[in-house]
Amino acid sequence: MRRCGMWAGGACGGQSTLSITASNENSVKMSDTKVLKILFKSPVTDDMIRYLTNTTLSVLPCAREPRQAYPSPPSSPGAASKRALPSLMTFITRLVRYTNVYTSTLLTATCYLEKLRRLLPRDAHGLPSTGHRIFLACLILSAKYHNDSSPQNKHWAAYTDGLFCLDDVNLMERQLLQLLDWDLRVEEQELCDALEPLLEPIRHDLARSRKAMARNYYHQRNMSTCSSTSTLVSTPSLPSLASMKSLTAMKSLPSLPRLPSKASLYAPLYSQCDYSSATLV
Amino acid sequence: MASSSQFKQLEKLGNGTYATVYKGLNKTTGIYVALKEVKLDSEEGTPSTAVREISLMKELKHENIVRLYDVIHTENKLTLVFEFMDNDLKKYMDSRIVGNTPYGFEMSLVKYFEWQLLQGVAFCHENRILHRDLKPQNLLINNKGQLKLGDFGLARAFGIPVNTFSSEVVTLWYRAPDVLMGSRTYSTSIDIWSCGCILAEMITGRPLFPGTNDEEQLKLIFETMGTPTERTWPGVSTLPKYNPRLPQHLPKDLGALLQSQTREKMELTLIDLLYGLLQLNPDRRLSAKQALNHPWFAEYYQ
Repeated sequence: MRRCGMWAGGACGGQSTLSITASNENSVKMSDTKVLKILFKSPVTDDMIRYLTNTTLSVLPCAREPRQAYPSPPSSPGAASKRALPSLMTFITRLVRYTNVYTSTLLTATCYLEKLRRLLPRDAHGLPSTGHRIFLACLILSAKYHNDSSPQNKHWAAYTDGLFCLDDVNLMERQLLQLLDWDLRVEEQELCDALEPLLEPIRHDLARSRKAMARNYYHQRNMSTCSSTSTLVSTPSLPSLASMKSLTAMKSLPSLPRLPSKASLYAPLYSQCDYSSATLV
Repeated sequence: MASSSQFKQLEKLGNGTYATVYKGLNKTTGIYVALKEVKLDSEEGTPSTAVREISLMKELKHENIVRLYDVIHTENKLTLVFEFMDNDLKKYMDSRIVGNTPYGFEMSLVKYFEWQLLQGVAFCHENRILHRDLKPQNLLINNKGQLKLGDFGLARAFGIPVNTFSSEVVTLWYRAPDVLMGSRTYSTSIDIWSCGCILAEMITGRPLFPGTNDEEQLKLIFETMGTPTERTWPGVSTLPKYNPRLPQHLPKDLGALLQSQTREKMELTLIDLLYGLLQLNPDRRLSAKQALNHPWFAEYYQ
């Protein structure tokens, strides 16, 4: 029987009380809120997936696939051939395509990855598929906590292309809930800290276009004061900030093509339950 | 350390939104608890309602919010161990129906309950949590007259720019008009409307707007509070389910309406508070903090 302990004295409980985190809100700069919103409104990019991959890999070292060390003979005829483990980046890319997950749900999973890294002992290490499990479990909980409707675990299992079965998925979810001591709250500051490398280019672009806009504005004004016929009142109006936002977001974050259909993915379900490696870490 | 064997399961207390609740006895401490049992469906995994309820409630420690003591998570069952409460507000109100006539509470009790309700709601909102299902069944009371918010199965965190909100929230009778019209940008004001409906119900013993479907619910609200217009509620016509052909009703005198259903004299400050909580336009509704500072509660904060 698995259970989670009283959080009052739990070692992995959130360290800060709610009132403390609430007062932190003021320390999030207004501009960061805006930058975060732009990031969350943009489509999922390769940069984001690369960042998520690296963050997941930094949680704990995972063993490499054994066949990379020694060549092994092909499996006996008739034996169920085990599906090769895709790279973590391929795995995440497929999940994103199949689920059409919101950018915000996807990126908020980073906060859980960061929490996990802080919680795990320094010498913790995993199996070749541990990174995949950790990422999937973080994404599932991000979807369940942050959205009013989210896929069921049987759907998540199907989205792994037969890599994990339903029992695997249920177990990794339960283990992650216990490791995080059910604390799935995410503060804006945490998001900003965890996603800083993705926020920086947007902030940079925003500043640059603001400068460009200001230059344009002065240029236009100078033109109008030089011209004897035009008055200050007729200064051309500036493009609205809203249209600027979407422009910058689009420019810096090209969209990733998505597969429209998920129907074909339900087939390879329930096939390969790998109980021997059915642990999260 | 708790495990399921530590609790003796006693009688069934009721069925929640996604679980069955039993009275339980902690065999080591001799303290009664409420055991909320969630059957786990392997296809779904851990229900998102349970994920949120536990994550949100375990940090919400306030005297007007039911305490979640512990969670026992097994492969096919999830048990939430809560503080035990004697009754809920719905059952308590029902117990006061004489013959077929409902009776509201004495005004002093109405005030004490509403004060505690708003204290609990204010604490949730300070911690950036929306309850989203406030109704008498979810307000638990004990023999000391304490009232506590329970059932956070629909609750949500707000304040970080993550994702969309569903408008399929709050039990119909207590659902705010903006949410009924499909708003997904609601915030704390969603809970305040419910607090207004509950206040009126405690006064008269009858639900204020007992609609049977979304359309009738809006009709009942507008018949009493008046049909909103762009002038009284700027932006109302942009809501997804706004119906421009709604019959135009003028607001009725809410005070007179409720007074006709209760014997005790209603103070003017009480009527003013009701109007503050039941503003059709969510931006004009009082906050929980403002409501607690309302003159009707002067005896508590002076």
